[in-house]
Amino acid sequence: MPVFTLPAVAVVAVLMVFPVAFTLYMSVHSWYASSLTSPEFVGLANFRRAFVDDERFRNALWLTIYFTVLATALQLVLGVAVALLLNRPFRGKGVMRAIFLLPMVATPVAIALVWMMMYNPTLGVMNYLVGLVGLGPYNWVSNAAIVIPALAVVDTWEWTPLITLITLAGLATLPVEPYESAQIDGASTPQMFRHITLPLLRPTIVVAVLFRAIDCLKTFDIIYVMTQGGPGFASETLNVYTFQVGLFYFHIGYASSLLVILFALVLGVSLLLIKVRRGSW
Amino acid sequence: MRIIRNLSLLSLAAGLALVAPALAQQFDWQQAKGTQLRVLMNKHPWQGAIEPHLKAFEALTGIKLVAEVYPEDQFRAKVLVELTSGSSSIDVFMSMPAQEGLKYMRAGWLQPLDEMLKSPALTAPDYNWTDFLEKTREAMVIEGKLVGVPIQVENTSLMYRKDVFQKYNVKVPTTLDELEAAAKALNGKVMTDDGQTGYGIVARGKRAAATSQFAAYLHADGSTWLGPNREPVFNNEDGIRALELYGRLLRLYGPPGSENNHWYEASSIFSQGKAAMYTDANSLFPVIEDAQKSKVVGKVGYALFPKGPKGQYGSTVAAWGLAMPKSSKNQKAAWLFMQWATAKDQVMAVQSEKGVLGARESVWRDPKGSAKVPPDLKESLTVGSKVGTPLWNPPVVAVAECRDAIGAAIVTSIQGGDVKAAANKAATDVKRIMAETEKK
Repeated sequence: MPVFTLPAVAVVAVLMVFPVAFTLYMSVHSWYASSLTSPEFVGLANFRRAFVDDERFRNALWLTIYFTVLATALQLVLGVAVALLLNRPFRGKGVMRAIFLLPMVATPVAIALVWMMMYNPTLGVMNYLVGLVGLGPYNWVSNAAIVIPALAVVDTWEWTPLITLITLAGLATLPVEPYESAQIDGASTPQMFRHITLPLLRPTIVVAVLFRAIDCLKTFDIIYVMTQGGPGFASETLNVYTFQVGLFYFHIGYASSLLVILFALVLGVSLLLIKVRRGSW
Repeated sequence: MRIIRNLSLLSLAAGLALVAPALAQQFDWQQAKGTQLRVLMNKHPWQGAIEPHLKAFEALTGIKLVAEVYPEDQFRAKVLVELTSGSSSIDVFMSMPAQEGLKYMRAGWLQPLDEMLKSPALTAPDYNWTDFLEKTREAMVIEGKLVGVPIQVENTSLMYRKDVFQKYNVKVPTTLDELEAAAKALNGKVMTDDGQTGYGIVARGKRAAATSQFAAYLHADGSTWLGPNREPVFNNEDGIRALELYGRLLRLYGPPGSENNHWYEASSIFSQGKAAMYTDANSLFPVIEDAQKSKVVGKVGYALFPKGPKGQYGSTVAAWGLAMPKSSKNQKAAWLFMQWATAKDQVMAVQSEKGVLGARESVWRDPKGSAKVPPDLKESLTVGSKVGTPLWNPPVVAVAECRDAIGAAIVTSIQGGDVKAAANKAATDVKRIMAETEKK
């Protein structure tokens, strides 16, 4: 019998266990892909360097958190709001839902390229749009001060539907009784939302936030396509920086330790959110 | 009379037939007959132009060629990974020594070619090494050793709108001061037939990408990357002046959002008629002269990069070459290929057929060789490749990392930040990166 699980075990070992183990091994070594010397054991020096000496790392860590919090918060508010709207009965609801879910289906690289054109300071439509309400013009992704919010908007455009989708599923399972008794007690709609819908939806929303937060922490495609971490290092998140260190500088040891840090970050955020979901926090 | 003329022609032909084998005897192209060569190439105009001629090499030498072609990023990664593995079977690969040369040299991967070039048994008498433009030869030397032969050259040069300069009666800049004055004078002026205004100047502003073009400003202003003891000097007074100028030009007279412009964005702005000047590699001329996409075909001049305050030349000399790994087991055949591919006939062929910017002076002097290239580009390229500098990259092992560090200072300058502090920080970073990657 165990023989049948063998191929699966082998695939997991080769494709998952080995790379992770090797990354951990490399993270405590110093090694450049082009050097003839074998990896040199340096203990925790790579981690020390990241947190103590490496300004680019600290900048990347901060930007990763900034981007994640901003994008996830935007998506959470918009996603839940849209879900509540779409949950009401109206004509053409099915079609509306389908249209609303479309951005999620598109390829991130294609989306990034389209937004690049929209953000173009001279030719793009965004400056025209903000111009209508008397703002701008902005340089969008070329302006260090607003590049992260500008990227968060792109991520929000694409991934708000995911939160909506999960929230809609949660809304469909809500019991009717609490609302009926609340109505009898004379509760207003906002009160019902605040005291019934939100608490009941909490586990669902936390799952949605968990998905989005993890995805945002490791966002790569839209940032790499739109700015490659620029201008300067103003949008260089951890993933983009690690890519640069590993595949352009070929500093494999240091890149591995950065990946371990990113992994720890993702794991930490996940554990925290799971705790929130259980309501034990 | 006619008979006599025919006779004389006949005897001439007979004479030639006698002479030809005699010449061929002097150099034995067949000496590595039967060898199989593995050649790795980057997708590139030169590669596209030489490809149809490879059969002729096989016929001449009896050597079988196995050519592999990859897009640039994959190509670089592939060569690196194969050479790192130590069990590479690459015999010849395309290389820009200023990009990866020092790293590969220090790793012991590059076969020095000086001996082969000198040997009369291995190098044809008519190869004529000194025919290559002076600085393209220098660009193939790493730590005193010749590591490649040049196949294509490009310089950072000044591309400008001849029509706009004439219309507003502005002199084409020959110095950096005049460059800034022209950018200022032309910024905001009407530059297209339908009355649209454009910017004074456009250039790359994207971190690492900008570094190789900024190199021209740096050297024209009298600074360079590293001093005699390999310590960073680009943050000296001259270097900071160059950094400030580059940032000021793009901030005041360039398109908004320059910080994210690579050559693709910059050349688009220029070829759409939205800028009066553009400093970048002159090998971009096919983009600018492409009637399908460009609105400025035939309106652009290609000038030597402006000189600095002390008359220094800035024009950089970036050359692609063919290199040979030390691990190649077919070095004689590999050298024959490198030699054949850069011999006058082949350089003439790729340059006259596809406008590939070759590195041989005799080919440029031949009207056939420069037929596909604008006349002033020919002029500025041949001069620039003699007087310019091959240091379009800092001469370090970790080129990509150092370019990022220096690029950050360029971005700061474009944004109007503290240039001196940024330059000093970049110098500290470069010093640290060099200490880490160049320890013996």
